[in-house]
Amino acid sequence: MGLVRDVLDKKLMDREDCCMGRVSGLVMHVSEHAQPRVTHILIGGPTPWMRIHPSLGRVSRWLAGMWGPKNGEAVRIPWSRVETIGRDIKLDVEAKETGALDWEIWIARHVIERIPGSGSEEEE
Amino acid sequence: MLQITLGIVTSVGGFLEIGSVTTAAQAGARFGYQLLWAIALGTICLIFLVEMSGRLAAVSKHTVVDAMRERFGFPFFFIVCVGIVVVAFMVLVAELGGIGFGLQILTGIGFPWWAVPISFVVWLLMWKGTFGLIENGASLLGLVTLSFLFAAFRLHPSWSSAGAALIPSMPQSGKAQYGFIAVSIIGASISPYLMYFYSSGAIEDKWDRTYIPINRFIAGFGMTFGGVLSIAVLIASALALQPNGILVDTFPQAALLMTTALPKWGFYLFAVSMIFACFGAALEISLAIAYFFAQGFGWNWSEDLEPSKNARYAFVYTIIIMLAAIPLVLGVDPIKVTVISMALTSATLPLAIVPFLFLMNDPIYLGKYRNGWISNTVVAIIILMSFVLAVISIPLQIIGG
Repeated sequence: MGLVRDVLDKKLMDREDCCMGRVSGLVMHVSEHAQPRVTHILIGGPTPWMRIHPSLGRVSRWLAGMWGPKNGEAVRIPWSRVETIGRDIKLDVEAKETGALDWEIWIARHVIERIPGSGSEEEE
Repeated sequence: MLQITLGIVTSVGGFLEIGSVTTAAQAGARFGYQLLWAIALGTICLIFLVEMSGRLAAVSKHTVVDAMRERFGFPFFFIVCVGIVVVAFMVLVAELGGIGFGLQILTGIGFPWWAVPISFVVWLLMWKGTFGLIENGASLLGLVTLSFLFAAFRLHPSWSSAGAALIPSMPQSGKAQYGFIAVSIIGASISPYLMYFYSSGAIEDKWDRTYIPINRFIAGFGMTFGGVLSIAVLIASALALQPNGILVDTFPQAALLMTTALPKWGFYLFAVSMIFACFGAALEISLAIAYFFAQGFGWNWSEDLEPSKNARYAFVYTIIIMLAAIPLVLGVDPIKVTVISMALTSATLPLAIVPFLFLMNDPIYLGKYRNGWISNTVVAIIILMSFVLAVISIPLQIIGG
């Protein structure tokens, strides 16, 4: 498996097949006495922007701190939660509990569900 | 066979819209049949590109944007996103303006007054409608554009002259304008958002490998449908406008191409055709932009889900449609926006098509269904040519006015 080819930028799905975003970055543990290993998957936050330029990452963190759910950091998912890597990456987590859907929920609550016909009425 | 509606809606919405009608009408009015080759070239290229994007979706279950983000990473995706979304947004402004112009012809009320109601109707259909409703509704309404074909036939064109114009030739004068219109025609035909829409539609319609033959038919039939209608516009314009020295600088001038063939109701038929064609295009572009963001960032997306179930996706098209209404309310001329955006589309084509060609040759996504040398060669030549034409003609047009 190639980490860049098979993991980075792939779409992440939770155990209910809900889209959680894409793999923005990977956290690796490197030590002198053991092989490097991936410890976490990073989703969103400043990570993808830092891949373009570090200053964009800083701007992204600053903007995210001003608006929305005010969470400027990337969501970290332990590598041990990876179930399968195929067309998408399937994780053994519930998306809402990880923070990956914070923006989705914030926009739904503050904008979309305030517009009639959004479909939230049926749920209630 | 109902899947053919995807081809027709892609064709009517992405091909036959204000851009292709305006550029074809300008070409006919200024250069007669001489630019027919550009429409034919654009159509052929579009058939190949649409077939490829449908094949990619059917085989890999990835949309073009999905695969592009995965294969080329976030930094490249972001560059393409900026280029494509800016141009697609300009085209959306032009399409909403096209509907406004159509209503202006029918009612006499200026197009800026229509900007907000039109945008609201487009948004409402996306908010409440399913993909099937949009697909079938826009296809059915778009059939009114067959009136262009009817008008062209009634003017008894010289088929031998039209056939000869399928081979490119240079005019005696106005070479810069000729190049600019050729670029605009190709830009109007090969809109990248059309590939994004079509591949997303294939995923929405749950295509698999068994759809490969029908995909080929849909791409061929649907895009030929749009191409023939664009050719009909050019022919009608060449026969109705050029002899009278009418150049298409304003929308009502373009409407005159129907009145020679259909004196009583041609003007109104043109308006109705443009309203439906531009309406289909506005829906398609808004969807394509929302799909682009949602797929690129890995959000939930489907026109069949309620807005609260894919809030970020619904938020994107809501904002985009609202923003697109602003220039029209301020009275920005949609014809000018159209002409510029069509030429810019040509200039940005390599940004969308080059990575797409890489994807179509990647065995990870397509296995044995990847491109052959014919598809690669046709698309590469046409893209290179349109890019070179754009680089040469856009500055010439700006300098020469």
